[in-house]
Amino acid sequence: MNHDPMRHLCSDQCGENPQVLGLPVPDSLKREWLTLATRRQFLTRGGKALAWAGLAGLMGREAVSSAQAAPSLNPHFAPKAKRAIYLFMAGAPSQFETWDPKPGLADYYDEDLPESVRGGQLLTGMTANQARFPIAPSYFKFKQHGKAGHWVSELLPHTAKVADELAVIRSLHTDAINHEPAILLMNSGNMVGGRPSIGSWISYGLGSMNDDLPAFVVLTSKLTVFQNIQALSSRLWSSGFMSPEHAGVALRSGGDPVLHLSNPKGVPSKLRREMIDGVAEINRNLHDRIGDPETNARIAQYEMAFRLQTSVPELTNLSDEPESTWLMYGPKAKEEGTFAYNCLMARRLAERGVRFTQVFHRGWDTHGDLPNRMRTLCDDIDQPSAALIADLKQRGLLDDTLVVWGGEFGRTVYSQGRLRPDNYGRDHHPRCFSMWMAGGGVNPGMTYGETDDFSYNIVKDPMHIRDLNATILHLLGIDHTRLTYRFQGLDQRLTGVEPAYVVDKLFA
Amino acid sequence: MTDIDLAGPTRAAIMHDTIHFVLRIRFIVQTLLQYLFLLALPVHLAGMAAAESPIDFNRDVRPILTKNCTTCHGGVMRAGGVSFLYREDVLGEGDSGLPVAVPGHPEKSEMIARIMTNEDAVRMPPPDHHPDPLADEKIEILTRWISEGAEWMEHWAFQPPEKPDLPEISDPSWPAAPLDHFILARLDGEDLAPSSEAGPAEWLRRATFDLTGLPPTLEEYDAFTAAHARDPRRAREEVADRLLASPAFGKRWATMWLDLARYSDTFGFEKDPHRDIWPYRDWVVDAFNADMPYDDFTVRQIAGDLLDDPDPRDLIATAFHRNTQNNTEGGTDDEEYRMEAVIDRTNTTWTAWNAMTIGCVQCHDHPYDPIPHKAYFEFLAFFNNTEDVDIDSDFPRTKVAADPELQAEAVKLEQALVSYRNEINDQARETAVSLDGWSLFRPTEAFITPDTGRLDQRDDGDILSSGTTPDSSVFTLRGPAADIAAIKLEILPLNDDPAHWDERGAVVTNFQAHFVSPEGERREIRVREVVADYITGPFDPQDTLRGNARGFGEFPMMKAPRTAWFVPEEPAVPQPGETLELTLGHGARCNGNHQNTVLRRFRVETTADPRLAEALADPERAGAWQHHASLQSRYNSIDGLTIPVMRERPEAATRETRVFIRGNRTTLDEVVEPNIPEIFGRPEQAESRLDMARWLTSEKNPTSARVLANRLWAEMFGIGIVETLGDFGSSGALPSHPELLDFLAIRLREHHQWHIKPFLREIVLSSTYRQSNRIPANLLEIDPHNRLLARGPRQRLTAEMVRDQGLALSGLMHPELGGPPVFPPQPDGVWNSVYSGATWNISEGPDRFRRAIYTYHKRTAGHPGLLTFDAPDRDLCTEQRQTTNTPLQALVTLNDPAHIEFAAAFATRMADAGDDPETRLVHGYRMLTLRPPEPEILGILVDLHSDALADYRAAPDEAAALADDGTPERAALILVANTLLNSDHALNR
Repeated sequence: MNHDPMRHLCSDQCGENPQVLGLPVPDSLKREWLTLATRRQFLTRGGKALAWAGLAGLMGREAVSSAQAAPSLNPHFAPKAKRAIYLFMAGAPSQFETWDPKPGLADYYDEDLPESVRGGQLLTGMTANQARFPIAPSYFKFKQHGKAGHWVSELLPHTAKVADELAVIRSLHTDAINHEPAILLMNSGNMVGGRPSIGSWISYGLGSMNDDLPAFVVLTSKLTVFQNIQALSSRLWSSGFMSPEHAGVALRSGGDPVLHLSNPKGVPSKLRREMIDGVAEINRNLHDRIGDPETNARIAQYEMAFRLQTSVPELTNLSDEPESTWLMYGPKAKEEGTFAYNCLMARRLAERGVRFTQVFHRGWDTHGDLPNRMRTLCDDIDQPSAALIADLKQRGLLDDTLVVWGGEFGRTVYSQGRLRPDNYGRDHHPRCFSMWMAGGGVNPGMTYGETDDFSYNIVKDPMHIRDLNATILHLLGIDHTRLTYRFQGLDQRLTGVEPAYVVDKLFA
Repeated sequence: MTDIDLAGPTRAAIMHDTIHFVLRIRFIVQTLLQYLFLLALPVHLAGMAAAESPIDFNRDVRPILTKNCTTCHGGVMRAGGVSFLYREDVLGEGDSGLPVAVPGHPEKSEMIARIMTNEDAVRMPPPDHHPDPLADEKIEILTRWISEGAEWMEHWAFQPPEKPDLPEISDPSWPAAPLDHFILARLDGEDLAPSSEAGPAEWLRRATFDLTGLPPTLEEYDAFTAAHARDPRRAREEVADRLLASPAFGKRWATMWLDLARYSDTFGFEKDPHRDIWPYRDWVVDAFNADMPYDDFTVRQIAGDLLDDPDPRDLIATAFHRNTQNNTEGGTDDEEYRMEAVIDRTNTTWTAWNAMTIGCVQCHDHPYDPIPHKAYFEFLAFFNNTEDVDIDSDFPRTKVAADPELQAEAVKLEQALVSYRNEINDQARETAVSLDGWSLFRPTEAFITPDTGRLDQRDDGDILSSGTTPDSSVFTLRGPAADIAAIKLEILPLNDDPAHWDERGAVVTNFQAHFVSPEGERREIRVREVVADYITGPFDPQDTLRGNARGFGEFPMMKAPRTAWFVPEEPAVPQPGETLELTLGHGARCNGNHQNTVLRRFRVETTADPRLAEALADPERAGAWQHHASLQSRYNSIDGLTIPVMRERPEAATRETRVFIRGNRTTLDEVVEPNIPEIFGRPEQAESRLDMARWLTSEKNPTSARVLANRLWAEMFGIGIVETLGDFGSSGALPSHPELLDFLAIRLREHHQWHIKPFLREIVLSSTYRQSNRIPANLLEIDPHNRLLARGPRQRLTAEMVRDQGLALSGLMHPELGGPPVFPPQPDGVWNSVYSGATWNISEGPDRFRRAIYTYHKRTAGHPGLLTFDAPDRDLCTEQRQTTNTPLQALVTLNDPAHIEFAAAFATRMADAGDDPETRLVHGYRMLTLRPPEPEILGILVDLHSDALADYRAAPDEAAALADDGTPERAALILVANTLLNSDHALNR
C-alpha cells in the first residue's frame, strides 16, 4: 500500500554501476548487492549457480567458491505462511456455479443483458458475433455452510464442509480475455511469456527448506473426462529471465516422477553408488590438479542427484499412507496423476518442506454444455481440495501453509450459444471472478469483494491479479516491492511496474 | 600476427592505472562475506584515487549521479524540472529558475548548494528517503568536477570506439596477438603474471570445442602433437585453419545466433503449432561456414527483401524477424499480437546488435540513458510496415525450392507475380480514379441475412451496420437502378479519427449485382474485374468474385479507408421498372480465426462512365492476365515448402506509426516517422528498413562492433569484457578492459572487415587463450571469475555440446548438414500438445544421431535434455545463457536412454582397443581427455570396472538388461564408459 509517488516504480531503486576493487561487479554479485541493499540476507553464489539448498553443506570445507553455507534467506518480515500450495484451475471456472451466487438472475432468464451493464466491453471472438446476450442463471443451487455462512454451490459438497477454513474472494479481476495471456498474467505477472513464474520468485526469495527436494514443484493433473483442452506448458512454471534453478520441477505421472530419475535398466543401486563415487574420485583428482571450484560443485551435484533418486521415490511411495487418507481424498487418489493424487502429493511435499507447490487442473473452459461439464469438473476437484485442507489441518500444517484455489478469469452471465434452463455456455469474462484462500495467515470464513447483480462488474473491493500476487507474497513474508531481480536494466518484480496492493483485510 | 607497430600508451596512464589498482587490490579479502563488506568501500577508494588526477566524468561522476540522482532526476522522472541525463539539462535551470551547474563555479551551482546544505527541507538527496547526506568524498568529486569545467562525457558505450595504442608491457615476448598486449598490461598493473602455456591436449580440446562444438579425436591429437614437436606455432595455425574450415564450425556458431534470433520450429503461445522455418536455421549455419561478413549478414536478415538485387536466399534470411511468436488462440486480437511481434523485432534488434535495453523506452523515456520515449516509436516505425499480421497462415511466406537450383527462379517468379499483379491493378486504377458521373446509391431496402442486425444509411450516404453480424452475414441492398459501367465500394473505419483506426477488419468476400424486375426476376450484372486502390494482405481483390472466404477489404484489422471498383463485363442498362440489387457476402475471420470481419461502415456509388469497362475489355489486358496466370502456374510447379518472411506493404498501404502513450497501443499520440535515436549516430538517410539495417553495422553506430566483439569474446573466454552481453547501457556492467574492447571492435570491423573467422583465429592462437586453466589458490581469491585472464578459460559445455560430445565420442554422430528438424529420443509425455495431433515420433536411422542444433525446437516443450543444460525456450531473444548446476543435469547424463546409448557405443570403441580391460579403460580415458590416465585414475577405473564385472557376473540378468550382447564384460564396460562421460573432464572444455 506504500506507493511512494516520488519513486517511479520502474526505476532502479539503488542502482549504479557497482565496482569492486576496480573490477566491474559480475551480474550475480550485483544482484546480491541489491539484495543486501534491500536488507535481505545474502544468498550464496560463488561461481555458477548451485541449485537448491544443501549443496554447499555437502561440499564441506572444499566449497571454495561458495563460502556461505546453505542459504538462509530471511523474509522481509515475519511470514504468516512458510509454504504455499496453489490449486490452479486452467480454463477459468465459472463463478456463477461455484462461489458467486446470483439467485436474482432467475428473474432475468433469457432476457438480454442490459447494454448499460456491458458498457461496450470488447468481447472475445467467441460471442462477438452473437445475436443476443441472454442471461443464464446458474442451474445449480447454493446453500450457506458452516459458522461463517459461506454460500457454496451444490457442486462442491465436500468443500462446503471445510468452508469455515476458507476466505472467499469474489472480486478478482484481470487484464486479459484469452487463456494464454491470462494464465501467464496469473502465473508470471505479465501477459507475454519470458517472466519468472510466481513459484520461481518464491524459490528465489526464500530458497528451499529441504536439502533433497526443489523449492518449487509442479504437478499437472490429467483430465480423465475431456481430451485435448487447455495447454499447460512449462512456461507456466518457467524461471523466465532468472537462473533456471528457480524453475518449477514438474513431477510427472507415469514413468519417472522426475525426468530420468530411475537408473537405467541393468544399473542396480549399489553399482550406481559406486559410479557416483568413481565420478567423485576422478573429479577430486582433477580438482587437485587444476583447482576449479566448479569441479567440487560437480561432485556435490552428483551426490544430490543420487539423493534425489532416493528422496523422490520415498515422496511418491504412498504405501505409508493410512487407510483414512484414501477415505479423505477419495479412491482416485490412488491413481497417479489425478487431481486427487496430486493434492495428496501436495500435502506430502508440504510436509517435506517444499516451499511452493502448484497443482494444475484443466478443462474449465465451459463455452458450451456448461452444467454437465461443471458437474464433472467439480466432482474431480471437490473432494481432494477439501481433503487437502482438512488433512493439512489435522497435521497442524494448515496454520503455516497457504492454500489458493482459482483460475485465470471468470465467465459471462450471458449464455454463449443456445440457452436452456439446464444447458448453456459461458464466454470468458475478465472483469470479475472468484477464488478462495485458506490457511497460512488467511482470515478463515471471510468473504471479500462483491460483484453487481449480474456478476459482470465489481461493486466493492476490486482485487487485481497483481494484488493477489502481492498478497500471496506478503503472507510468505515477502514485500513484493523489495523482491526484485535485475534484468535489462530494471529491478523486475512479480507485480510489475503498476501499483499493486496487499489486501490485508484478508489476513487473520 | 604481432608485427603491428602501434605507439605505446602514455607512461602516466599506465602508472595511474597501476596505482589505482594497487591501492585497491590490497583490500582484497578471502571470503565472500568480507568481499561484500567491502562493497561499501569502493566509492571511498575511488575518491582517494581520484584526488590524484583530473576528474573523469564517466569514471568518477556518472556513477554518483546514476546512483544518487537519476532515479528522480532522470528520464522517467524530472523532479523539479531537473535531469542529469543530458548535458544541456545539467547546464540549464530547474523549475526554481536556479542554474543546476555552472561550469567553473560550484558556488553558483544549485546542485552543490542542495547537496551541501543542512536544511532538511531542501537537502538533496531528500532526507526522508536518504537519511544520510551524500558522502564528503562524493561531494568533493562533484565540486571538483564543476570547478574543472563540468566536462561532460556521454556514457562510454555511446562514444564511438577509437583504436587505442598497444600498451607497454613487461614481457614483449609473451604476446602472440595484439590483444595479448592489453591483457598483459593489465596483469602487469595488478602485479600478476600470466599462467604458463596449456599443454597440447588442453588447448586442442578447448579450441576444437570452441570452434566446432565437438571434441577433438585421438587421431587429430596425435597429428597435432607430432606437428607440434616440429613447429608449435605452425601446428596450432594448421589446427585453427582446419577447425575454421570444418562444416562443424557453422553448426556450433549458428547456435549462438539462433538464441538471439529466437529460432524455433513452432509458433509459440498456447497452441504452439508447427512452423516451417528451418531453412532459416540452415541459412545461418551456411552464413557462418561461408564466413559471411557481419554487415552482409545483418542487412540480409533485417532487410534482405528490400535489396535491389537480392541473392535468391536473402528472402530466407529475413525469416530472422519472422521467428516472432504468432498467437493462434481463438479470439485473440490479431493487431495486439502483430504489435507484440513488431515490438519484439524492435527490442531484439537493439539487444542483439546494440546491447541496449530499449524495451524501457516503450513506456517512457529511458530512465538512465539519453533515449527519449518518442525515439522508440520512431525506430519501431522501421518494422511497422510489413505484411505479416499474426494470422494462422503466417502470411507472407516465400517458397524454398526443394531443388536449390530452382531457388533463384522461384524468388524471381514470386517477385514478378507481386509486381505484375500490381501493375495490372495500377493500370486500371489510373482509369478508375478518373471516372466521372458518380452517383450515390441510396437503397430503398437494406437488410442483413440472417436477420440479426440492421443496415442504416446516413444522410451523407454512408451505410452503417449494427446488431449482431456473424461471419456468414450477407448484406442485401436494393434501390433505384441506373446505367452501370462501374460500382465503387468504399469501406470505411467507424471512427473518423486516424488515431483510432485500430478496428477489426472489414472484408467483402462475395459480391454480386443484379437487376431485379418488379416480378422478382433477377438479371445478373456479371463483374469482370475488381480494381483496388492498392493490393495488400493475404487476399487478392479478385477473390471477391470467387465465392470463397477471401475478398477485398482490410484484413485482419481496419487501418485505413479502402476503395474498390467492381466493373461489369459490359456497361449494364436496366429495363424500365427494374431495381438494382447488390449483395455483399462475408466469410473472412480474424483474431485466431474466430471473429467476423463484416463491413461496419461503407458507401456505394455507381457511374455510367464506360472508360474503365472499356479499358478492362481490351484484349491486351486479357493477355496480361494470361501472362500472370502462366507465371503463377510456373511458380506453382516448383516443388518446395514455404516459410514466413518479411515483406513490405506497398507504399500506399504504409501503416502510420504513433507514439503509444505509456506504452499502451490503444492510447495513441503523435505520428512519427522512422528514425534512429540521435545518440546512436543517426545516418543521413534513415527512411527504410534497409537504411536502418545498413546503419546497424556502419561506423556511425557506436555499439554494434563492440557488442559483437564482446559476444565472440565471451563465447571463447566464458565471460564478456562487458559481462552483461545484452546491456551496454548505464545500467549494465562496465568493461573490464575498455581499451581492449575498443581495439577488438575496430579490429573486427576494419581489419577483418567484419569477418568472424579470422577474428576467432586470432583469439584461439593468442597467448591469452593458450594459457593453462589451472587455478592457483591466490588467483582464485583475487579473481574468481577470471576477469583478468591470468589463466586460460575453462567453461562447462553448452547443452548442445553435451549431446554432440556424446554423439562424437560414441561414433554415432551423423554429420549431415541441414534439413528439417529431427526427433531424437525423449521421454514419453513431454509433448502434451493440445488442439493438434502433434506427436514426437522418434527419428530412426541417421536422423536419430544428428547434432543438437537439428533437434526439433518446440517453444512450449523443449527437449528436456537440452533445457536441463540451460538451453533457452527462445520465446524471446536470449542474449546470454545462464549456466546452472543442478542435480537434474546429472540425471540426464547418467540415466537418459540417449546417453546410455552413447555410453554403449563408446564402450564398443573402447573395446576395439584390445581385449585387456586395462587397455580398454586407458583407451576410453584417452578418447575423452586425449591423455593417458594417471596411475591413480587408472586405479579408480580398474576398481570400478572389476567391481562392476564381478557384480554383473553374479547378476547376469542385470548385465543382460544393460548390455545388448548380454555379457557381463560389456555391461561393466558400458558402466565405466558412462562414468567417464559423467566426469568433470567430459562436461567441461
